[in-house]
Parts: sequence; C-alpha cells; structure tokens
Amino acid sequence: MPSSTDAARLTRRDLLRWGAAASIGAGALTAADLRPVSAAPAAATIRIALESDPPNMDPHRSTAAVDRQVYQNLYDKLVDTDENLRILPMLAASWTISPDGKTYTFKLQQGVKFHDGTPFNAQAVKYNIDRMRDPKFPSARRSELGPVTGAEVVDTYTVRIILERAYSPLMYVLTDRAGMMVSPAAAEKEALNFALHPVGTGPFRFVEKIPQDHITLERNPDYWVKGQPYLGRITYRTIVDDNARVASLKSGDTDMINMPPLPQISSLKKDAAQSGARFHIIEKGPFSYNGIWLNVTKPPFDNKLLRQALNATIDRNAIANVVLQGNADPIYSFFPPGTPAYDPSWKVPPRNLALAKEKLQAAGHASGFEFTLLSVPNQQAQSIAQAIQSMASEAGIQAKIQLIEFGTFLDVLDKLQHEAGILGWSGRPDPDFDIYPFVTKSGIGSFNDSGYDNTKVDELLDAARLLQDMTQRRRAYSEATKILADDMPYVWLYSVKEFKLVSNRVQGFVDQPDGMMRLRAVRLG
Amino acid sequence: MSLAVRALPAAAAAARDRRGALRLARRFARNRLALAGVVVFAVVLLAALLAPWIAPYSPTKTDFTSYLQPPGSGRHLLGTDELGRDVFSRIIFGSRASLEAGVIAVGLGMIVGVPLGLVAGFYGGRLEDVLMRFTDAMLCFPPLVLSLAVAAVLGPGLGKAMIAIAVVLMPVFMRLMRAQVLAERGREYVDAARVLGAADRRIIWRHLLPNSVAPIVVQGSLNVAGAIITEATLSFLGLGTQPPTPSWGSMLNAAQQYLTQAPWLSIWPGIAIAVTVFAVNVAGDGIREIWDPRTR
Amino acid sequence: MARFLARRLLQMLPVLFFVTLIIFALINLIPGDAARLFLGEEATPDAIAALRHEMGLDQPLYVQYVRWVGRMARGDFGYSFKDHRSVLQTLLEKLPVTAELTAGALVIAWAVAIPAGVLAAWRQRTAVDYGASAAALGGLSIPNFWLGIMLIYLFAVHLRWLPASGFVPVTENLGRNLRALLMPAFNLGIVLAAVVMRQLRSSMLEVLSADFVRTAKAKGLAQIVVLVRHALRNAVIPVITVMGIQLGTLLGGAIITETIFAVPGLGQLAVNSIYGRDYPMLEGVVIASAVAILLVNLLVDVVYSLIDPRIKLAGSRS
Repeated sequence: MPSSTDAARLTRRDLLRWGAAASIGAGALTAADLRPVSAAPAAATIRIALESDPPNMDPHRSTAAVDRQVYQNLYDKLVDTDENLRILPMLAASWTISPDGKTYTFKLQQGVKFHDGTPFNAQAVKYNIDRMRDPKFPSARRSELGPVTGAEVVDTYTVRIILERAYSPLMYVLTDRAGMMVSPAAAEKEALNFALHPVGTGPFRFVEKIPQDHITLERNPDYWVKGQPYLGRITYRTIVDDNARVASLKSGDTDMINMPPLPQISSLKKDAAQSGARFHIIEKGPFSYNGIWLNVTKPPFDNKLLRQALNATIDRNAIANVVLQGNADPIYSFFPPGTPAYDPSWKVPPRNLALAKEKLQAAGHASGFEFTLLSVPNQQAQSIAQAIQSMASEAGIQAKIQLIEFGTFLDVLDKLQHEAGILGWSGRPDPDFDIYPFVTKSGIGSFNDSGYDNTKVDELLDAARLLQDMTQRRRAYSEATKILADDMPYVWLYSVKEFKLVSNRVQGFVDQPDGMMRLRAVRLG
Repeated sequence: MSLAVRALPAAAAAARDRRGALRLARRFARNRLALAGVVVFAVVLLAALLAPWIAPYSPTKTDFTSYLQPPGSGRHLLGTDELGRDVFSRIIFGSRASLEAGVIAVGLGMIVGVPLGLVAGFYGGRLEDVLMRFTDAMLCFPPLVLSLAVAAVLGPGLGKAMIAIAVVLMPVFMRLMRAQVLAERGREYVDAARVLGAADRRIIWRHLLPNSVAPIVVQGSLNVAGAIITEATLSFLGLGTQPPTPSWGSMLNAAQQYLTQAPWLSIWPGIAIAVTVFAVNVAGDGIREIWDPRTR
Repeated sequence: MARFLARRLLQMLPVLFFVTLIIFALINLIPGDAARLFLGEEATPDAIAALRHEMGLDQPLYVQYVRWVGRMARGDFGYSFKDHRSVLQTLLEKLPVTAELTAGALVIAWAVAIPAGVLAAWRQRTAVDYGASAAALGGLSIPNFWLGIMLIYLFAVHLRWLPASGFVPVTENLGRNLRALLMPAFNLGIVLAAVVMRQLRSSMLEVLSADFVRTAKAKGLAQIVVLVRHALRNAVIPVITVMGIQLGTLLGGAIITETIFAVPGLGQLAVNSIYGRDYPMLEGVVIASAVAILLVNLLVDVVYSLIDPRIKLAGSRS
C-alpha cells in the first residue's frame, strides 16, 4: 500500500490539475499562453521517449525489457560492460574468481550511499543476493542466478558469492538486473511496494512515475563518482505509437528515442544528413534475434523432415532486405553477428525449394502439408508471418496465420499447445542466456517453446557453463548449433540492427551493445 | 464509435400502405443524394461479389522484387504494399470483409434483439424488468469498449468481430422493438383480436411484427454504416480480419508504419471506408426521410 | 424534485448490478492468465503460481466476484496488477486529461454545429442546407482512427505545425497543453459536430414552423433575435438528449483518439488494460464510465425539466 505521505502528494497534484482545467473553462486563456515558454528550469533536463511503459521499478522483479532503460540511471550494478562487452568495475572495484569457479570475491567501492542515505557495503550485497533468492519473494532473477547458493560478508567492503558449481555466465548476469543493488532499508520497509518507491545508488534518484505517461529522475547530488552526473533531470515519456515517437524527436519535444520503426530508417537517415538537421542516428549491430518455434511434441512438426522442409523454403535474405529493408541480418544460430559466441565460419544457407520438396517427398507429404502459424498482432510480426506464408506456399506448405494477443500467445507457447509461433528474444551480453533455457530440457514449460529435448545438446550447453574461456565456450556453442540446425526446433530468421535517434544537443552518449541508455556521463549542449 | 443509438422518430403509418410503396419509391428516387448512395453501395457490392474477376492480381500474391511501389507506377494502379502485393486488388477484396461485417453483424443484432424486445414488450412483468435493466446496463458501456472486450474474449477473426459488433447492437434493437410493441399493444385492433380469442402467437405474427418492420429496417440500415466502421476499427486494432486476407481496417493497421515512406498505403483504404460508409449513410437517411416526412 | 432524484438514483441500482455482472463475466472469459502476463516473457512457473495466489486468482469465481463487489461498494477499487498503484488514484489522475480532451471536443463540436445547424434550417433546401447536411454525413462516415492518422500526416509530419503527440499537462504549460490537444480534440469533436448539427437542423425546422415563432416574426422582431431567442432555445432540448446519448460514443471515440495521439487519458488506459489483462484497472475504468453515463443521463433529464417546464419529471425513460 502506498505510504500516506505519498498519497497526500498525489492528491494535491490532482487538485492542481483540476484547478487548472477549470480555469480554461472560465476563459482565462490569453494569446501569451499559446506561445511556448522558453525559460527552461535551471538544471538541464534530458527527455527520452520509450516505446512502451516500464511496468516495474524493482529490478529484482522486473520482467519487461524496457524497465532496464530506466534502471541504468537509477541503479548501479556490481559490474558493468563497455562498448566491446568487456566487464568493467562499478560498485565492485575489483574481484577474483577461485580456480574451481565456485567462489567469487568482490572488493567493493567505498563511500557509496543509497539515495535514502544508508551506506552501501558488503552487508547490502548479501541482502540483495538473499532477496533475489528468497522463495517467498516473487523474484524474477532466480534462474539467472542459477547455481548461486548464497553470499558471505568477509569484511565491511568485501563480499563473497558462493556457487554450488562453476557458472561462467555469472559476471555478465551481474552486469544486468541481478547485479543491481537496491537499498536494504527501503526494500525491507516497502516489500512489494518497493517498485513504487525505488531506491538505488545510481547517478539519478527517483522522483515520480505516472503510469503510461512519464517517469522522472533527478540528479543524485551525492553520487560517488565525483562531478557526475552532469544532467539535472531525466524524464522518460511513453509514446507507444511509432510515428508519434519519431515526430516528437524531429520536432525537438524529446532528445532521444529508442527503436524508431525500421521502415522509416532510410528516410530518417536522409533527414539526419541534411544540413541544419537537429538529430542524428546511432546504428549498432544486432543483439536480439527472431524466429519460429516449431512444436516438436505434436504433428505436423514432430516430424523432423517437415521441419527441415519448412526451413528450406525460407529466403532469409528477402526477409532481411525486403521485409525489413536491410535493417536486419539474416541469421542461422542463436548468436547474432558481432556477439561473443558468433561463429563467422557458420554460414546462412540460401533458400532451396528443391531440397524442401525432397524432404516433403521423404516424409510422405509430396504435395505439402498445412500448419497454423501463430503471431502477435504487431505489424512487423504480421509482415514476417505473411512473408513466411508466401514462401512456404511455393513448396506446397500451407501456413494458416493466426494472430493472438501477447499474453495469450506466451501462454499457448509455454504450454506447447501451438504448432508454430513467431517469437524472438531480446538478447543478453552472455551467450548462455541466448540459448540455454531455449533448447534444454530444463526450459520446457517456460522458455523452450518447441518442447525440444536432446541429451547431447544439454551436455554441450552444461559444459559451456563450466568453461571460463570464451573461445572454448564458443566451440561448445558451435557444436550445439550444428545439431540444432539439423533438428530445427527453432527456425532462426533474422536479427534486427538497433537504432536510436539522438538530438544534436546530446553530448557524450556512448551506445553499447545492449542498447541501454547510460546517461551519467551525458551533457546537453 | 459510430454505433450510436440514433434517435428514431417512429412513423410506420406510411409503410403500412402497400399501395403507397410505389409512391415511396418515387419519392426516394427524387432524393438525388440518396439515389447516388444506393448506386455507390451497389458498385461496392458488385466489387465484393465479382472480386476475383475484377481484381487484376491475387490479393495475397507477394512479390519481393517490387514492394512499396507508388501508385500509377508500372503495372499497379494504386501501388504495392510492403510485401509487393497489389493495393488495388486488396482494396477490392477488402470490401468483402466490410460488407459482410456490416450486414451480418446488424442481422445478428436484429435476430437476437427483436424477439427479446417483443417478448419484453408483449408479456411485461418481472421478465420485462430484468430484460430491460439488462439492456440498460449494456447501454451503459461505451460501445467500443464493449466490442473490444467481447472481441478480446472471443479472440481475433472476422466472424468473432461480427459477434462483438452484434452484441453492442442487440440492445438497440431490443429497445426499439419493445417500444413498438408497447405502442401497438394499446391499439384497438390488438384488443379486438384478443377479444376474438386470437392466440398470442397469432397476434405477434399477424399484427405486431408486420407493423414494426419499417422502423426496424430504418434503424438497421443506419446501423450498417456504424458496423462497417466498427469492423474497420477492430481490424485496425488487430482484432478483426486475420492476415493475409485483406480488410480495409487491417490494411490501415499495417500501413501505419509506412506513413512517411508510403502514405498512399494509408490513404486508399481510408477513402474506401469513408466512401462506402457515406453511401450507406446517405441511402439510410433517404429511407428514413421517406418514412418520416417531418424532417423533409 | 428531490423525490424524482431519489427514485432515479434507486433505479440505477439494478442496472449497476448487471453492469458489474457483465464486466466480471467478460473479464473472466478473456483468455490469458493475468499472472503470466504480469510477469512477461521471462516468467518462471513457480513465480507465476506464487503471483496467482497473491492476486487471489486461485479462488473460486463466485468468491472473487463477491469480494470484488464488496470492495467496490466500499469505494476500494483495488490495485493495478501492472504496477501495484491504487486504481482509484490512477483513475483520478487520468480523468482530468480525458475531461479536458472531451471538453475540447465539445467546444469544437458546438462551435461548428450550431452555426451550421441554424443556417441549414434557416435556409432550408438551398445550397447551404445541402452542403452542410452532406458535410455532416461525411463527418459521420470518416473512421475516427483514419482521420487521426491523416491529421498527423498532414499537420505533424508534412506541415510540422502541430506536435504529433507528447501530451503536456495543464499545470506544466498551458500553451503547449492546448497545442498538443488541438488535433485530438478536433478528431474527437468532428463526429459529434455532425450528430449535433443534424439533430439541431431537424429540431430547428420543427420549431421554426411553430406558431410562437410566427407570432414573434409578426411582431417585427429582427430575424436573428427570433432565431436565437426563441427557436434555438426550444430546438436545443432534443439536442441535449442526443448529447447525453452520445457520451458513450464520445468515450469510445476517446479510446481511438487517445491511442493514436498518445494522450494519457482514460481511453488509453482502457485499451492498455484490455491488452495487458490488468483486470482491476479495466474494471475501474469500465465502472467509472458506466456510472458517468448513468449520471449524465440523469443530468439530461434534470436539465430537460429546467429548460422546458412542460416536461414532467414523472416519466421514466427506460
């Protein structure tokens, strides 16, 4: 339940709004009101438009990718990544990993305070790890922390994280939500309502969140990195409509937007190249992936030959270059080009209708077969579904498209009630979480939406978790990918490049592979 | 949205006069705007029926070598969409969803609403109270919210969208029919029939229903326009016709993301909806006027 | 008057009962597990089970219904599944936005419809009348969502005169608030303008042929004064009824308009809660709009009696 002070504050603002609305009715409008007010507030405010409303401000419960945009500035993590995905110190100044990979010892940054004034120390790290693992707490981080069994306080600024077995993804996991430290005092007091009054150590602290409208953060004057942050405030506005989001940046109403619609990229690039343009485009390589889950537990796709036949009809280049207008890379694995586990020697096969017909023949379905292809009703997914449908039909494979709303869609897929469904993944810095839960037995019922179960693949991916060296891990992933390309439980399709539109006022912004907007070193010109 | 319950002055007397039918038709023909509406509607209807023969291309045939072509370029009169499909052909085939939704949804609403209204009005009592409070409750919902919620329950699809629209229209017909029955029930001829020992069924079929046809038809024709718009709205929100079958609303849904790059994709289907709905509205208005001389 | 009001309010109770029943039935029939949806793409089964319990979704339906109505009756609308905020608080936050948008739409609708309706009736069967009537039918025929897209394309993308979206609260900056609401209010007002104009024209025609208007004319009053003082005053009564009936349409239109122009009002809230399966929020929005419609209909009856004392308050309009 919201605290009484907060309720009072909100009520007062409501009254203010009502009062102002009433004064319009009274005809208090003058010409001066119609002119935009230029007197900006003293401290610089950066205005960011997000593509959907971040639902939850508690990083340990969050399950929506968009939440993470706000977290980057509200919370610090134990460690962070740089633009080449190397691990950097953040709240942890240094660390050592025991040779058996089961003990991680972190030396913490000293003199760090949470926004509520309480100190950040080893005790706080232990509290956070315990909170994420607490079975009574609806944690969304439990599976990421996997083999972690607990944390030990060594001294005030040294903490140990203990694992039951080696788990190489841990450092990357700690660069994301599981590494974000919340104030133990606030979390203890607020319990589930912590999400309404989030308290971290980040460069900005929480001011307010109006659902489906905006979130405001303000400068943390006591931030532990001296002089940072440079901005006074951040406002995140939710503008779901793609055209409206782009228009708001073009008109100067916002300073940065995420995910401009792909069909508009080419014309936006032209706009940005014109002299006097107010914004530029940041383009970065793909991180997420998209494809089709084929349910291997029921007909028609319990037949491997039919899965291979469908796969052979697909022209990945046409999808990337025509449907997505060159703003995506065709893919044939879970690892998009440029990510650590990407194997450049593994090529995307061309479309092969003859092979598709051969496979159909071998399966005893020479004239083709029918299946239902599920998709969410978003426009890009619909275009992809229709392109697949059209390509498959040339081999006699008839896809019946059915659009279902996202919530129902996930439910159907997780319960393996579908035949085929188009669903992607936002991607993680560590390759493990791009593949492991999606194809191993342990993921059935949650992430493994094909019901695929192959001991050999499970072994390879378990081995990759134990290996610390990325070159060795990559070899295990490539082995697994070869098996998956033959079994084809998931038809990899494409991986979109990611774009941001940034106003030319914004200085010092570095875009990172994860696409998160880290703003502590950003200034406005 | 435009499923508004429009005020309908009940004036059925003129319609009862069978010999007056010719006079009515002549009067209608003199209303040139209404006549134009009927003609346009007939053209749309023909396009829907003869779509496979009129459309130059298959509405679902993709062509990855010629996508997002502007209107008039080469072989495509109204251009092509993001998958290289011919927009003109899709507009022609799209008329089917709109007309089906318009006519069937209104028909469904009528089939359910009219008998319920009749029962409520004729028998009265506790049953009437319950039925009418229920319709009052249904009319308390903003029509689009109710359609959206019903569509969310049923899932996407044209047939389901029609049911969602019919659910909203049902109470409108129910109220109208009940009002008609209440008006007619007090008349002498019904009393006379009663006195002569006519069964309820006979009174309903011989007297009450025939005398209520005119206002129901007028109401229905006006609701067809609203139903077409609602179908387009549901499809626009992804709850109507499923791809790749074209409908004007779902074409607009897909076109939105190409607004700056290919604005024609957003313009043609909108014009198709507006023209069709305008034609139905004008024709419906014409029908209403000949039965309700006051507004002329 | 007091007795009339009391009786009308009492009559609302059974209607409200059906309203709650319909909402509850619809919401429980919508497929998709709220807990699953709440946790999103990365949910784990045990987290879902824990959350279902927390939300009370594991209780039998009738228990959920009785609890829910009980809480409603006490004015407790519950907490959003999505962000745990109080539903009532969110409604109160969104209400002024939609109220402002609707008020703007009404102003635009009346500003267009009154002169057009009066002129069309006054110059019946002239080009003015035909033009205005055809334009009104046109307004009824253009789908709201398409008009919105076209407005954005023309004024925001092409001419760049108005912002495509980006709502600014009144308290922040009145000028920018009005600029941002101009297109949405126009989009929402245009259908209403058409309805009002048509109704006004036909009731004006009736009034203009009435005896007392002829008498006024005979007394030599200037035509304009006749129109405004006598005819319009009487013609406005049926228009008010139509406006009352149109409130639902207006709220429905607000859904589309707010979605297209990203106006953070009740309409957008309604759509997002349907898509997001945020049951408590959806229930709150729908109950609020149903009550609003009931109250406005009551208000229309009262206004009716104030404008035209000939109408007795005894008749119920069911």
